[in-house]
Formats: sequence, C-alpha cells, structure tokens
Amino acid sequence: MTSSLLTRSDWLLLIASVALLPWLYGSFWGSTGGMGEEVHIMVDGRELPPISLSKDQTLTIQGSIGPSVLEVANHGIRFISSPCQGKQCIHSGWHTHAGEFAACLPNRVALLITGRESRYDTFNY
Amino acid sequence: MAADPATRYPGLDDGARPLRRPARALPLLLVLLLFVGGCSREELHHAQLFSFGTLVDISLWGASSTQAEHAERIIQEELQTMHRAWHPWLPGPLTETNRRLQTGSWFDCPPELLPLIMQAKRLYELSDGLFNPAIGKLVALWGFHSDVPPQGPPPEPAAIQQLLNQHPGMDDIAIDGKRLRSRNPAVQLDLGAFAKGYAVDRIIGRLERMGIKNAIINAGGDLRAIGRHGKRPWRIGIRNPRGPGVLASVELSGDESVFTSGDYERFYEYEGKRYHHIIDPRTGHPAAGVTSVTVIHDNAAEADAAATALFVAGPDGWYPVARKLGIKYVMLVDDKGGIHMNPAMAERIRFEITDRPEIIYSKPL
Repeated sequence: MTSSLLTRSDWLLLIASVALLPWLYGSFWGSTGGMGEEVHIMVDGRELPPISLSKDQTLTIQGSIGPSVLEVANHGIRFISSPCQGKQCIHSGWHTHAGEFAACLPNRVALLITGRESRYDTFNY
Repeated sequence: MAADPATRYPGLDDGARPLRRPARALPLLLVLLLFVGGCSREELHHAQLFSFGTLVDISLWGASSTQAEHAERIIQEELQTMHRAWHPWLPGPLTETNRRLQTGSWFDCPPELLPLIMQAKRLYELSDGLFNPAIGKLVALWGFHSDVPPQGPPPEPAAIQQLLNQHPGMDDIAIDGKRLRSRNPAVQLDLGAFAKGYAVDRIIGRLERMGIKNAIINAGGDLRAIGRHGKRPWRIGIRNPRGPGVLASVELSGDESVFTSGDYERFYEYEGKRYHHIIDPRTGHPAAGVTSVTVIHDNAAEADAAATALFVAGPDGWYPVARKLGIKYVMLVDDKGGIHMNPAMAERIRFEITDRPEIIYSKPL
C-alpha cells in the first residue's frame, strides 16, 4: 500500500530529511549567540577567501608596508604584530563577535567577522 | 523541473521498479533548501572602504545589488573629496585657508569648507568654546598633525602657555557672504573633532536621495543609522573603552547617530603617562578625568562635536554643556571606570558585561 505511494528511495529520503531536521534548524534558525564564524580579510581593497574562526592558526598577511601577523584562536582573531607605528591594531585585542571589524590602517589590512546570526550589526568605539 | 504532473506523484505510477527509481521529491527538496539558504541573507549588503584616514564600514539593508554597488562608488568618491578638502596638514583647501587666516585679510573661502566653518562656529558658541576647532596650533604642538603617533616628550609648558595667551577661538573668524577673515593670527583650523560626523551626514544624505532607506555608515567606530534591519531595529555594540569586548549595546531605529570620543583613539605614552589627542582649549593639555564619552543624537556632525565638548567638560561639567547643545543621550566613562548617564540613556543602554559597573545618574536632560 505504502510502497505504491512512495518509492523506497522516497522513504529513505524522507527518513534522512527528518533526521536532518535538528541540524537544519540549528543551521538556519539556531542561535550562535552572535559569535563570529568566519573572518574576511581585506588587503588594500582586495578581499581574501574567508577563513574559519574554528581552526586555530597564525596568518601572515602582506600589507602595504609589510607583514601583519594575525592569530586565530578560541573562535576569535587578533593582530599580534604589524609594521605600523601606533600598534592600535594590536591594542584593539581579540575580536570574536559577528559584525566586528578591525584594521591596521597604515598597512591597509582590515578584517570583518561574519556569522549566521549577528548580535550586533556594527560597533561603536 | 519541467516534469509532467502525472510523473510527480508516485501514487499514480505502477510501482513496478521501485528500487531503480530515483526519489522524485529530491529536486523539490533541493530547490526548497536553496531557497531557505538564500533568502535570509541577500537583504544585507556589507562593504568596507579605506578612506578618510580610517576604515569605513557600510551596511545596507533591502537595497538591490545595483543600488549597493552604486552607493559604494558614491561613498568612495565623497570620502576622497572630503578627505582632500579637510585634511589638516596635507596641502589642500584647509591648509590654504589656514595660511590666509594668519594674514588677517578677507579672502574667498573654498566652497567645500564654508558650511563646515559656519556650523563649527555655531557649535563653538553653544559649547562655550569647549568644542574649539580653532586650536589647530595646539594640536600640532602636541604632535598630532602626523600620520605616525608622536613619541614624546610632551611640549614645553611655556610653548603651551604662549598659545593659550593668544586665545584662538571660532569667534575670531568673521564671515561675510563667502568671504572669511580672522581677527586673531593664532587661529588655525583643525576640523578633526567634527569632520567625520559631517562626512557621515553628507553620505547619509546622498544615500537617502538614491532611495536607500535602511543603512549604517560607520566611519572608524562613529556611525549614523537610518531605517532598520528588516523587521528589527539596528543593533549597535559599544566597545569597552578599557579592555576587549563589548561594554553595552543599544538599538537604533529611525535616524540616529552614535559617536564616541575616547582617550584610546590617538595617543602616545611618555615615561609611563598617556597623552591623548583631545586637547582641552582652556588648559592646552589633553583633557583629564575621562576615558570616553558616547552620545546618541540625530545629526552626526553635532554628535561628533558634542562627544568632544563633553569629553573636555569632564565628569563634573558635562551636564550643562549637553543641555545647551540639545543632546538627549549621554554616557561618560570616567578615568576610574565610573559610568555617568542621564536617565533616558540608562533606559536605552543594555550592559553586556558581567560585572555591572557603578552608575552615576544625572538629572534628566
């Protein structure tokens, strides 16, 4: 009876879909608490491929006046060295929230954190 | 997708080869998934530009891609024009104006500067001179007319006193139609406490004329937001002026600007002491007692000037200045970490830190 309504593949698909529901729900509507998931790095107006914040690593980005070193750890990112004079990029510390952005202006290296759900659209400072 | 209706319903089939038939719901499911995945994010356009000596962060909600690209181009052009016109030390309209202000004679003001100077004069009067863009010489003396932060030592007290004795103020500038003249040769304009807000206002004006209704223009942390983020207001995180993370958040809808002046924006340290760029025109020294002042106000240029004036006025003096400037929402963080607010601001601010700070409420503004 049922097999005439739906093929076996349809059943498999239906079961798979139901099993996927919790993941889909989390993926599209779930809260990430506004934490960032990816960081988009821009060098002198060119955007590099996005980098995941869940993989700890150290990145060296060639900017206009030299290398800026960025550390990705604990779902956040920070500048650890940059060839600028003021070191404001380093002083700004860790950036973890979706919507946060930071830059080393003299070196023209900027980063923007994105996530599925931004708790903040932008930041005032 | 162009499947015949009869073959879309498995129940109408004979069911003779169930194992080899592909799942017919699959294309539909895929299309549905693509739709769900695609719909929620296309509404927001986000871009960042290096300009105006800072990073400008643009958020547009509900604009078409064509509109967004056009807006980005216009913003880039506007910022470049204004940056060139208002730069306090690179040769251009402002340095030329400053050269002629020293002569004491009448001259034709560059048209791109006249409206700024007129508005700056008005805000100077309203703030009793605490917002004083005529002290360019003092800012330069402290070493802040440079792309690299100064290393110290701070200037000699005698050199500061000599400039103070000349009392440069915006009231020394006389305007006659399009012409300007300064009665005081010590007047040198530095529009740093004001130009960013003015630029943000101009860009918002351009966006509105393009038909964009929902946007945030954030120039290095100072912003104006119009409209909303779809069904909800725009949400702004206010960074902790000391240390990482977010101090508080505030929601904006309609048309509002959030501007913060802080001692951490431009500064240098010399022999363990911090010297920042917000110079008190009364003392000639960096204004003391305050870490940051955040102002919410409709107009960005006024918010920018007010944040500076209230920073200079300090924890004990900000209230009457805010009243005269017509500012309705103020939060001041003093150098001991105490937070001063008017009651209306306290209602809007949501603290995002675990240790609730000490809050000192003012009378209503």
